[in-house]
Amino acid sequence: MNKTSIVTRADIIIISIAILILPWLYLHFWGDGSQGEIARIQVANQTPRLIPLHRSQRYPIDGPLGTSIIEVQNGRIRFIESPCRNKLCIHSGWLQRDAEFAACLPNLISITIAGRNPRFDSINF
Amino acid sequence: MRKPSPLAIILIICLITGLISACSRSDNRTEKLHQSQLLALGTLIDISLWDVEDTLASQAIHDIDTRLHELHHDWHSWQAGRLHDINTALAQGQAIELDDVELALLQQAQQLAAQSQQLFNPAIGRLISLWGFHSDNPEGPPPEAHAIQKLLTQQPRMSDLIFSNHTLRSNNNTVQLDVGAFAKGYAIDQAIAILQNQGINNAIVNAGGDLRAIGRHGQRPWRIGIRHPQQAGIIAALEIQGNESVFTSGNYERFYQYKGQRYHHIIDPRSGYPGSNTLSVTVIHANAATADAAATALLIAGPQHWRDIARQMGIDQAMLIDQQLTVYMTPAMAQRVQLKQNLKSIIEET
Repeated sequence: MNKTSIVTRADIIIISIAILILPWLYLHFWGDGSQGEIARIQVANQTPRLIPLHRSQRYPIDGPLGTSIIEVQNGRIRFIESPCRNKLCIHSGWLQRDAEFAACLPNLISITIAGRNPRFDSINF
Repeated sequence: MRKPSPLAIILIICLITGLISACSRSDNRTEKLHQSQLLALGTLIDISLWDVEDTLASQAIHDIDTRLHELHHDWHSWQAGRLHDINTALAQGQAIELDDVELALLQQAQQLAAQSQQLFNPAIGRLISLWGFHSDNPEGPPPEAHAIQKLLTQQPRMSDLIFSNHTLRSNNNTVQLDVGAFAKGYAIDQAIAILQNQGINNAIVNAGGDLRAIGRHGQRPWRIGIRHPQQAGIIAALEIQGNESVFTSGNYERFYQYKGQRYHHIIDPRSGYPGSNTLSVTVIHANAATADAAATALLIAGPQHWRDIARQMGIDQAMLIDQQLTVYMTPAMAQRVQLKQNLKSIIEET
């Protein structure tokens, strides 16, 4: 190595790591939230449960009527089973964007998509 | 390998600092925001509180839950409760004693009905029942035309209610009260009053999509999204600080299909049929009950008459979306909201 160089090999390694890590850091902490990254699953009168949308998985959630099954796949989430009569929650289909919402009112379970930096504190409809 | 230069050390420090500040940014948000959800009024109630101790928050939410359940029981449109007793007395032409709260609620509804030229008309309970909407799962068939006409000729109106001190009676025994277009707003006002009485001044109470916000979210205003009436996503955004309610009435909220025809639950008291040509109306007003009643009245008034009714109800911030997705806004509303989609918008003086 040229001993007169200002930049050492360690510098190059550190700067390379910094450059590589920057896009991830930006998306992780300062993303615009338009694509929801977390779903908030709430059973009425209980503490909400936060579920990441990057991991495909099925979650059984117990409500007063019985167990509703919620599926996460490719950054999306939906009800696939619920012990209610009209199945409106299942007909709501996939949720993936910030503030999208589906609920099984008879079983008192709701799903809301929330970005890490939610654009909205509350949704009017 | 030589040691990293001072430049690289500074870079490492910057990275670590950035990481910590980003982490604490998200931690701060979750720490100070207390969110809870309850089931009341037949819908999900979301309560967001900013910077409130857990024990105080739990007590306030418990008190709200109790109050909303009382209101739901007392004012339910088709189940046994206080409203049922009042309607029974009115149908029999008898007088009934009201307490302070009942008197205030019905007098506020009567005043709003008068301001709306009876487009907000909670006296048409019989008509709403005739259409089958006094049911958890409304379904057809729609009523016969002559049955609708018969009820219309009897003209049940809030002005038929006669209050004498705490006694209520009516000379029109076809008046049957249905406070569905107003009770949610009234309940949200009560919930906000409970919070304020406990010293909580930064909060949102959202009942099934309609909300009232007070105070702020820390250093910034509360951010509200208005959902698109026909598709997923947001149609408009606005910020609230202080004390404001945002209510939307839409023809998509409760409806049934019968022989391919869709019938929604907002009945025009002039025609006796569901109102047409308006998709949704959003109203901003300090008082949630007023915003609730006005959203219904303006939806019925439609694109031709909504400005007149808004003016008479003291509403200066309103937005109407018709079936063609044209957005009509009052000038004050246009200043507040940021439309998120490329829609044709018309700003009209009230």
